[in-house]
Amino acid sequence: MLRKTLSLLLPALIPSWRFFKTVAPSPRVEFQLEGEDTWQESHPLPQRLGLRDYLRRLVFSPDRNTQLYMVSLSERLVERETDHSKAELHRLIRGALPEPSGALRFRLVFVSREGGALVHYVEYESGWLV
Amino acid sequence: MTLSETVQITQYLLAGAIAVQSIEFLVQSRDRWLALRLILCLMLLYPPAASVAVWGLWLFSLAQLHRFDGPYNGGSDKMTLLILTCLGLYHLAPTDYWRELAVSYLAVQLVLSYFVSGYIKIINADWRAGRALCDVFRFSAYPVAESLRDWANFPRLLCAMSWGVMGFEVLMPLALLNPLTLKFGLCIAGLFHLMNALLFGLNRFFWIWICAYPALIWFQAAVVHPLVGL
Repeated sequence: MLRKTLSLLLPALIPSWRFFKTVAPSPRVEFQLEGEDTWQESHPLPQRLGLRDYLRRLVFSPDRNTQLYMVSLSERLVERETDHSKAELHRLIRGALPEPSGALRFRLVFVSREGGALVHYVEYESGWLV
Repeated sequence: MTLSETVQITQYLLAGAIAVQSIEFLVQSRDRWLALRLILCLMLLYPPAASVAVWGLWLFSLAQLHRFDGPYNGGSDKMTLLILTCLGLYHLAPTDYWRELAVSYLAVQLVLSYFVSGYIKIINADWRAGRALCDVFRFSAYPVAESLRDWANFPRLLCAMSWGVMGFEVLMPLALLNPLTLKFGLCIAGLFHLMNALLFGLNRFFWIWICAYPALIWFQAAVVHPLVGL
């Protein structure tokens, strides 16, 4: 417990501040409901925002911060698979469904640039989750 | 601005920033503990209760790190905890020397947050050529809307923006030489965070970084100015 607390605290008390050192492959979270063939993106970006949306989000932006948390969870999950990251992604995907549903599974599709082209590849796929 | 005024202003700003974070969580989770966090934010506005409030909020931040198995919102959570730690140590400190040291640590970390971030970009060829910022818009998870990905089609503009960001970040320590240059530097920094909040949805960074600015203004006047004297 103490070691875990220290490992969480120290990066905040002695931060590295290495923001955007490189632009790493970027995750998208997709899910599939049981009985369906298609994969859908969870928490997709809106196509565009109006001026009022930009200003509102400057002060209050819970959905956007959930999206950013899902990015962190995805990066953690491919770095080191943990029950926490998997359970949190499952909870957030399920929480955004318009109506309760049965089993689902999710996958992490990473996007990166190779030369001039964008490439997409699946880095992680969960089993069926209820 | 005296040290105690600096700390008081920081606490007022922090109360607002953490309250907004808490309301964002409260909307989603209805967690009753968040109501207590809001009460602690109110206590921060009342100086005799500020010490208890700071340490209460510090414990909340620690519990949150455990709950989310790390930061929920990356650097903004780290800055929140850093400010709370420095304020907490200020309130515990037995003498003025230790109180000044606690606030100075926050000021130094604030300058480092810009300088290190700029330095690691400027040594990267992709950042110097503007390719990295193009990639941020083209495929990263950061743009807040798909329509913003079109910005990747303007590489010259993004190259100029990259150099603008890197230049401001690495030059930030020099702003400490004079009170006027510091105020100018902090205005540019605030504008930088504002753009990050609008384009990339990093709204928490905008509010929490501003909370640390009074510490830097005090540090320049009380520590750097007597040494450099410009």
